[in-house]
Formats: sequence, structure tokens, C-alpha cells
Amino acid sequence: MDLYDIRGGGLDVIREESEHQELSRESTTMEPYNVVSDRGGRADPGRFHLPESEIVTIRNQLQGKVAEMESFAGHLEEIFLTVEENFGRQEQHLEQHYNDVLQTLSQRYDERSAGLEEEKKGKLEALYSQLLACGQAMDASKELIETAQEIYRSQDKRLFLKVIEEFAKEDIDLTLTTSLEFNTPLADLSDVKTMMDSINVVPVINPQMPNSATQTSLRVCWSLFSDDTVEYYELYYRPVLEDTPADTCAPHVSNIKVKETHCTVTDLLPNAQYELWVTATNTTGISPASEKALYMTVPSPPVIKQRECTSCPEAALIRWESGNTNPVDSYTVELSETGTDGTQSGVTESIVAVPTCQCLIQLQTGRRYLISVRAVNIGGPSDSSEVITVSTTGTLFYLLEDSAHPCLSISEDGFTIFYGDEELPISAVALDDTFTRCVAVLGDLIPVRGRHYWEVEVDDGTEYRIGVAYEDTERNSYLGANNTSWCMRHILTPSSWSPDLRITVNPVRIGVALDYDRGSLSFFNVDLKQHLHTFNAHFRNYVQPCFGMDNPGALTVHNGIEAPEYAFI
Amino acid sequence: MALTQVSSNKCAGGFQKVFEHESTELKCKMKFAVYLPPKAETGKCPVMYWLSGLTCTEQNFITKAGSQLPAAEHGIIIVAPDTSPRGCNIEGEDESWDFGTGAGFYVDATEEPWKNNYRMYSYVTEELPKLINANFPTDPDRMSISGHSMGGHGALICALKNPGKYKAVSAFAPICNPVQCPWGQKAFSGYLGSDKSTWEVYDATVLAASYSGPQLDILIDQGRDDQFLSASQLLPDNLIAVCSEKKIPVIFRLQPGFDHSYFFIYSFMSDHIKHHAKFLNA
Repeated sequence: MDLYDIRGGGLDVIREESEHQELSRESTTMEPYNVVSDRGGRADPGRFHLPESEIVTIRNQLQGKVAEMESFAGHLEEIFLTVEENFGRQEQHLEQHYNDVLQTLSQRYDERSAGLEEEKKGKLEALYSQLLACGQAMDASKELIETAQEIYRSQDKRLFLKVIEEFAKEDIDLTLTTSLEFNTPLADLSDVKTMMDSINVVPVINPQMPNSATQTSLRVCWSLFSDDTVEYYELYYRPVLEDTPADTCAPHVSNIKVKETHCTVTDLLPNAQYELWVTATNTTGISPASEKALYMTVPSPPVIKQRECTSCPEAALIRWESGNTNPVDSYTVELSETGTDGTQSGVTESIVAVPTCQCLIQLQTGRRYLISVRAVNIGGPSDSSEVITVSTTGTLFYLLEDSAHPCLSISEDGFTIFYGDEELPISAVALDDTFTRCVAVLGDLIPVRGRHYWEVEVDDGTEYRIGVAYEDTERNSYLGANNTSWCMRHILTPSSWSPDLRITVNPVRIGVALDYDRGSLSFFNVDLKQHLHTFNAHFRNYVQPCFGMDNPGALTVHNGIEAPEYAFI
Repeated sequence: MALTQVSSNKCAGGFQKVFEHESTELKCKMKFAVYLPPKAETGKCPVMYWLSGLTCTEQNFITKAGSQLPAAEHGIIIVAPDTSPRGCNIEGEDESWDFGTGAGFYVDATEEPWKNNYRMYSYVTEELPKLINANFPTDPDRMSISGHSMGGHGALICALKNPGKYKAVSAFAPICNPVQCPWGQKAFSGYLGSDKSTWEVYDATVLAASYSGPQLDILIDQGRDDQFLSASQLLPDNLIAVCSEKKIPVIFRLQPGFDHSYFFIYSFMSDHIKHHAKFLNA
């Protein structure tokens, strides 16, 4: 944080404030004049009386300034704390650095003094032994002289010459065994010098700035609070892996050399945490490494699952895949309304802190919306996912393909089911969710308790059963034949069944109207606008549309249709 | 045409009234019931004509059918005429309960001594609507017709013979094919003579086979335990077969446990009025 910037800005604020304070003082001091003039009886409202609206305006301005001052004060406090923190760190480093230097020096001192001690000992020993030798030699000489004197006094002159000869043979070494000089090696303090000259200040790596990261890159900034010259900085980074056992090799550390105090690291993985640290280098060497900072790249954008999104006139349910292997913190859903000609109205809404991969959004009826999702972690929000268009005309749903009986095949667009003539292949395995007896499939209706309408198109000769069922309706039971489903079943005559309803015109397009509040499920022949039947039932749970086929044929679901008037009278 | 109010009772937010008038078609005094819903006080309402069955007067429907509440809810005026001319002193008119008094069969008789007075078809389709439209806050373009048993037969033939005149039609246990059932044969031979070709113009099943006109949507409720159904007086299968052939939309509901009585009518009256309202209030 650069103190200079803050200081400049802050003063501006203060200056403005004082101006306003003067103004306010003026306004308040004007009051007494007003009062006086009133008391005096000669009220001159035009001249001295300050109109109320201006007072209000000034008051509002002052309130605004107070708020600004408060936030400025808060800002200052933050700076204060950061400065204290930074300086604390610097002090620590300085202490440590000098401790190191002192330690090195005292080490050298110990070495040198030990060396000196050794030398002294050596020399003394040598001299002492020389001294001893000298002493011995002197004693021997003295003896010799005495002997010589004795012999001189004696008669045998030949013996005297013999001894003298022996004596003369001996050489006395009179040179000193040791040198007179001290052997003082040059102190090697180069490394200490280096230490003193080196950048002893540790670079400070900044915490991650919001919105500075992308999916594959991080923008890292740092600073060096020192007058030392820097040739270059070296930024090191490695990914933080979630669960690395202690003895496996650590992830590879990469590094970049830069001259500036910032760097954009690229080629990173999305939604990943990285450890970064930086050193500064000049001719004297490399500074100690900064503290390790943790940065996180932004996640990859989510992928909206089109076939699992569903909507109705009042709401939409959007489901998506995270798009990231590791968890993210939350999701943000963004929506904007679009006009019928494709232009965006610019009205946008963001729903933040969505914890799971789905979101139920309240919407207005009869509009079109563009909806997209972002994944969010501490590095920031990801890019927006692909946009999905939602229309709040009628109810839209896809089929729950996992629930389809093995004999049913579903068209590519997901709205037509076919019941073929072929024998059920033995290899066809029924999954947990599929219907096993009734050749049927469920729809994925939005869980909103309002009014829903959809249409079913069939061939003239098709026998089918359609309606709604609870999501957990028995999969090995027949739709309509239990108390968890409500169906209208179309049978061709002649039939052994005694029908509830006989009709003269087979519907090929059936409208189904579900009203949770009224507790009704109605069926209509859409082409004739003819009401066929209504169930009155209280649906205690949410229901799903169900479609079953009793003879081979095709059935198409049409939805996203505004309910006709007669559907809900 | 002078109307005399016979009675008026506040009912379901509106008024159930009975009027009497001198009929020009039937040449006698005739009573009819009119229910005026609350909406009639402030605006024009559509009209549903109800034709009652054998032995009924204008009283049975208004006291037993439970029509007033749904009529009030949907804002529909319900007119219920009598089932035959009264007090004409025709010989033999009171001999049977299924012929003569209380059994007009909604035809214009051509045989003596009936042809002078027994003109219920014209009364219901011409005179009565004119009278109603002149004296009550009605929308003359929005009429529908319904009935029970003989009245069901009456409703069906009026709708089939007058394409576009009635916006909706429904029936309770109607006599669908009178030329084939004992009731119809007795009444038609009496009113229309022995030439069966003259009967066909008053038979719903025959009329349906040659119907051409705006699309109808016929709702029929029939009690499964109706003694007259099992006595082959009603013959709905014949009508259904012809309508299936001609693609005339019919919803035929066989209601288990129900008989021919007004208890049956009461149970499904609101469904029928709702059906009529869909077309009358469109």
C-alpha cells in the first residue's frame, strides 16, 4: 500500500469537509438573525430566511461528508494496521539478518582465536624444547669444561686432546627452531561482507487482489522496502495439492525472472491453489525468500444442463455441472430479460452465494430471460457459462430419461417417445428408476405449486395413459392403478373394459391442466376445446407428468404453451 | 305479450321466478320458470333453456335440480318451461303418464286432436325465446339448451335441427333414439301418425346422421342403474355410434350407482352448467 496516494486523497476530503463545516456554520449562524428580526416585529422573510429545501440539501450533504469521513477513518485504520504489520516484519528480518551476521563474525572470531591459540602453543612448545636442549647443551658444556679442566690438571695430554676432538665434533645448533614472526592468515570475511552488502530486506509478497486472477493465470505483486539496487526478482511457485502424503515427491517448483515488482503467471490450472514466494537478486547475492503467499486461480465456468432445466410462468429451475473437479465456494446466477426481438433490456439480476448446482429463480410471466452461471472461489468469479434462454410462457419440462421403461426410446429432442414392436432384448437391464411393467416415463416438472399446462400428441389408434404421478410412484406398478398416480387412459373399442367415459371423437392432442392450489387435474381435447375429465385431488407432494403407452406407437409432449382460457375455469 | 308473475323467491343471490302467459302456439295459459342470477341486475346474461321429462311441470326442476347456485356463479339465466300444454281439455290427454299431459315430446303434432295445441317444438324454439328476450335482460345471441329424459331428447333435437342457434347442448339420461323405443313409438304414432318417415325429423340419432352445421360438443350423463336404460327406452349406444361415425363430439359419462331421478340430476348439474358456461361466456 502506497502511503503517498492515501495521504493526498485524504487531505482532499478533509479540505472539502472544512469548507462544508464553514458553510454549515454560516447557516446556523444565520438563524439568530432570523429570530432577532422576527422578534423585532419587522420580519423580512425574503432576505434572511433560509428556505427549508436548502437546509435539507445542506444537511444531506453534511451527512454524506460524515459518511465519507467515517469510511476514510476506517481506511486510515486499515493502513495503520498494515503499516504496523509490515514494519513489524521488517524489524524481525533486520534482527534476524544482523543476528546472522553477528553469528558469522563470532564464528570467525572463535576460529581465528583458536587458530592463534594453536600457533602460540606450537611456538611455545618448540621454543621450550629448544630451551631444554640448550640447557642440556649448556650442562654438557659445563661438564666438559670441568672435565677438560680436570684433565688439563692431569698428566695425560693425549686424553685431553681426545676429549677435545669429541667435543669439537659436536655442533650446537644455535638457531631458533621457531620463527620470530607470527603466522597471521588474512581473515576471510568476504562472506560477512556479502551478507552486509546483500539485500537483507525480505521482499513482501502481496495477498491476492480480488478480480486479478483468471482461469489460467495469476497476477502477483510484491514490494521491496529498501534502497538496495535490484537486478531482478525471481518468483517461485508450485501448486498446492490437496492430499499429498509426506514422502511423495513435492510438486515441481517453477520460477520466473522479472525486473518489475509484478508478474502474471500463466499456464496454470483452473480452480487451483498455488504457493508463491519471491527473492530479490543483485551483485551481492540473493535476498532471503519472502513469505509464501497462497493464490488461487479462478474456476472454470460451469456447464448448464439444458435437459435438466425446467420452467413455468412464475419461475425457472436451472441445473448445471460445476465444470471443476475440485469444489468451488459458491455459484452466481445471472439473468437478464430480453425483448421479443432479441434485444436485451439491460435489466440484470444476480443471485450470489448459491451453494449447490441448482437454483430456483422467481420470474415474471410471459417474458424471455437469458440466464448464465459463474463459479466462484476466493480467487474470484469464473467466466460466464453458456447462456440458456428461458421463456416464462407456459410450463416447460423434459422427460426423466432414467425413468423410461426399456421398451421406450426417446427422440433426440427429448420430447417424443416410441414404443416399438420389438421384443424386449434380454440384455436390456432395468435400472433402479425405470418402469418395469407399465411402458411409461415421467417428466421433470418444476417443483412450484402453481398452474401448469402441457399437451400430448398421439396417433389416432394409440392406446395410452397420461396424467401425473408422485415422483416415488411404484415403478413396478401400472400408472393410474394406484393411489400415487392420476391418469386418463385411452382405450379403443370394442373392449372388455367398461369405460368411465365414452367419446365419439378420439383426441389426438390432449391438453393437461394441473392446478396445485385447487387440487385439480383436467384433460381436454385441444382440437375441439372439449373438456374430457377432471380429477379433484389434494396433491400433498409435488407430482410429475407421466406418459404411458399401452400399444406400440408414438407420443409427443408439447410444452411451453400458454394455457388456454378454458383450461383453468 | 303480457306476463304475469306467479311467484318470486330470492335464491343464491338471485331470484327464482315463475311467470304465466297466454301462449299463441299452444293456445292456452302456460307457466314457465326463470332464474335471474345476480349479474342480471346490472347487465345482459346468456340463457340456458331446460326441458323437463315425462310427468314434470315447471316446478320439479326449480325445486330439485340444484341449478341456482351454479347459474348464479356463472351468470346464466335459466328458463324452464312446462312439458306440455295444460287445461286444453283434449280427450285422452290424461289417460297415460307417458302420452298427452306432461308428455309433449317437444314435437309439433300433425294428428288430431293434438295438432292444435301440442306444438311444444315451436313453443320452445320460437315463441318462448322471443318472449324471454323481450322481457328479461338477455343476450339474444347466446342461448343453450339442456334437459332430462324426454327433455334430453327435446334438447338434442332442438340443437340438431337448428345448427348454430344453440351455443351449447347437454342432456341427462336422454331418449336418444325415440323411433326405436316404446316411449317414442307410442308418442310419435299418436302425435305424428303412422308414417315413420315423419318421425325421423324428431329423432336425435337420425338427425345426427345427417347433421351439418357448426361443431357441437355434447355432454351426456347417464345413470348406470337407471331402470329405463335397462328397459331399452334410452338407447344411448345408438346415438354414440352415429356420432362416432359422423365425428360429432360427444362425451358420454356412465355414472355408476345413479338412477333416473332428480338426485342424479342434482349430482351433476354444476358440471353441465359449467359446460354451458364455457360456450355461453366465451
